[in-house]
Amino acid sequence: MLNVALAKGRLAASCADLFIKCGVRAEILREETRKLVLETPDKKFRFFFVKPADVPTYAEYGIADIGIVGKDTLLEAECDLYELLDLKFEKCKLCLAGFPEKRAALSSPRLRVATKYVNTAKKLFFSRGEDVEIIKLNGSIELAPLTGLSDVIFDIVQSGGTLKANGLVVLEEVFDISARLVANKVSLKTKAAEILPLVRAMKQYTAD
Amino acid sequence: MAYFKLPSGVRDVLPDECRRLMGVKEKLKERFLQSGFEFVETAGLEYYDAYAGIKSPVAQTRLFKMTDYDGSLIVLRPDMTLACARIAAAKLKSAARLCYFSEVYDFSARGNSQREVEQAGVEIFGERGAFADAYAVAFAADCLRAAGLDNFIVDIGHVGFFKGLLEEVGLDEERREELRLYVNAKDGVNTELLLKKYGSGGRAEEAFLALPSLFGGAEVLDEAEKLTSNAGALAALAHLKKVYGYLKEMGYENVVSFDLGTVKSLSYYSGMVFTGLADGVGAPVLSGGRYDRLAAEFGKDLSAVGFAIGLTRVLSALERKDPVPAVRQAPAVILCKEGGEAQGYRAYLKMLKEGRACTLLTDADAWPADRGGEKYVATAEGVQKC
Repeated sequence: MLNVALAKGRLAASCADLFIKCGVRAEILREETRKLVLETPDKKFRFFFVKPADVPTYAEYGIADIGIVGKDTLLEAECDLYELLDLKFEKCKLCLAGFPEKRAALSSPRLRVATKYVNTAKKLFFSRGEDVEIIKLNGSIELAPLTGLSDVIFDIVQSGGTLKANGLVVLEEVFDISARLVANKVSLKTKAAEILPLVRAMKQYTAD
Repeated sequence: MAYFKLPSGVRDVLPDECRRLMGVKEKLKERFLQSGFEFVETAGLEYYDAYAGIKSPVAQTRLFKMTDYDGSLIVLRPDMTLACARIAAAKLKSAARLCYFSEVYDFSARGNSQREVEQAGVEIFGERGAFADAYAVAFAADCLRAAGLDNFIVDIGHVGFFKGLLEEVGLDEERREELRLYVNAKDGVNTELLLKKYGSGGRAEEAFLALPSLFGGAEVLDEAEKLTSNAGALAALAHLKKVYGYLKEMGYENVVSFDLGTVKSLSYYSGMVFTGLADGVGAPVLSGGRYDRLAAEFGKDLSAVGFAIGLTRVLSALERKDPVPAVRQAPAVILCKEGGEAQGYRAYLKMLKEGRACTLLTDADAWPADRGGEKYVATAEGVQKC
């Protein structure tokens, strides 16, 4: 049996569609349920629903053999995993955003950056050799520049609607984000016969 | 700060688990000694320079560093292979077969690893060639089996294939390391992005993009051959084919697989690399390879191949297989009443001489209630079973 960790929320519906297209009897994923563990009727797959940030953890420990999670979460988690496929849904960008006049301030010393992606932001500014103050927030990141908590924000931008409504703009697109298929480094080898056909099928359905 | 707690990433091993651990160690010890390896214990503290100055697989951030009283920087032993190479090259100054049980320390470990890692390993100094490599892989499989695992594979790669491909694309040192990390993660997306941005196109790039899927049975070696004409890369493949040929003849074809996308540290490994993977354990239980240039860093040129087994991970695999811990051995218990101490002690010595396990008590409550064993009472009159 293949154990699959899936992120609760927006990603879940797209994942269900993908698995069904690939011939997995994953109709159960579409049902309204409060169960945290779901098995396909043929007992070939077991799905867990966890918080997005926990998908890499379940996969790294090998509790889940594979998982589907956003690249933003992977960048932040830095887990030791195989990243097998870009599934090309849930596309968005990890951006630096703020008021338009902050564009020039991006490389100024002591820039204050509000984000929930603290590790990723640290690595980004470290690689650029810039000193910044990173402020960890857990939600409503856009509020930080509006209230003066930070100069800019580092966050995912999908439609840009929230930014626009608050007078903010994207100052720099840093990373392309989309859903990724990850695998535990041992499971890929010990359960290759189960995982590889699925990877091939998914690859076929995620081609541009 | 509560003094009875432990810092993160380390733990105590309590009797139930320790019994299992000792069982595994005894079996491995027997294997090692039978095959002519000799045990060494290496110093727990070493100079930082030993790991900073030479080709080290240990990143600076992974070292536990302290300042010695003369101001020099010292570290808690981070790696046994380097320590063994130092011993073989600088002290024994000759070919050697060394083995060890030891803890290594990793300052930055998190996630599915610990900061204190108990390892059992072997190092073969002075042997080279395909058969020596095949022997190392076969011995690794034998050791995992001796430890009690039955559902595992030894996954083999070769850094020479990747190095050969690197020669064909003009990347600087930093990009090469970045590319290695992407290939190791089978991250096709970033591999492609990096090559698009910094590469010079051509056949080698296609080979790099194929690397993440070049794993499985020995047939991947044939597939890989079609991807390149680089002499180094082809030599690596030819070597692995030879290794596989020996392993097949020795009866190990069912426990080995290949992965050319497993590219361990390039500055350290010089040839074949391998990893032991056990079903149900999310991380490798064994890691090894060939490092022919390592001993030279310590003053004597000795080829070397070896591996280390992660004992805690082996234990967790065994626990999954058989959750019931081994039966506690229950020694005989002699309870000495006042005046019966000398009688009791004589009876205790007699039992030890007969080869029986025996414990001496003066307080019946000092023996755990759930631990059985024959019970005796010693008084001035003599020792009686009860």
